[in-house]
Amino acid sequence: MLITRRLEFSASYRDPSGATRGHNWELEVTLSGPVDAETGMVIDLKDLKEVMEREIEARFDHRSLNDDTPFFRDRAPTPEGFAALVFELLDKALPSGLLHRIRLSPTRELTIEVGR
Amino acid sequence: MIRSIRRYEFSAAHVLARPDWSDARNRAVYGKCANPSGHGHNYRLELTLEGASGADVPLDAIVEKRVLRELDARLLNREVPAFARLVPTAENIARHIWDTLFDALAPARLVGVRLVETSNNSVEYFGSEPQR
Repeated sequence: MLITRRLEFSASYRDPSGATRGHNWELEVTLSGPVDAETGMVIDLKDLKEVMEREIEARFDHRSLNDDTPFFRDRAPTPEGFAALVFELLDKALPSGLLHRIRLSPTRELTIEVGR
Repeated sequence: MIRSIRRYEFSAAHVLARPDWSDARNRAVYGKCANPSGHGHNYRLELTLEGASGADVPLDAIVEKRVLRELDARLLNREVPAFARLVPTAENIARHIWDTLFDALAPARLVGVRLVETSNNSVEYFGSEPQR
């Protein structure tokens, strides 16, 4: 069973060309796991929401990826690099192996997908 | 490989609570979704099919008869026998729809059931559980 939760946040970044871009990022986080026979759930959505808020929203919402986070000190952010970071942060915070893929869309025209 | 994805909508109310648990335990596990009065969703259902077209299988009629008539405008826990004891989480509803439709849709092969509960939450079931 796959279970997907969505989150939107706003963040800006200076891309490798030096241009400053701001987006409403749309993030879809998909977990893959068996349905717990007792609760009928793969995961308590409250727990997933909490992880997404702590790991992603609290770090990046209304921030500059370059200036307000420690992740892009020595390299310029790109949507692909940011998506890989989001996957890594969530993968570390979630029970092992549960994260299946993320989809991160800076705009309606572009989606980056990162999976196992 | 050609797949078709057909979309439906239904509205249903549910209570996320096990009848064999206390109210306190249900509230601890399911939070506000355990409210005994029930709450409702406009569910979006996406069926992914392979191996036959709408010309071979009267898909809409089958889904209407077996799924929508059973679930639409119901309080799932009370009015749908499958959920008399099974908690109607999105996961369990998706699996129920899969089990209800899989044989009925032959020769079309059901390969995915996606159930969107709210704009933020959805589940997808492919007929088996991943190995952990």
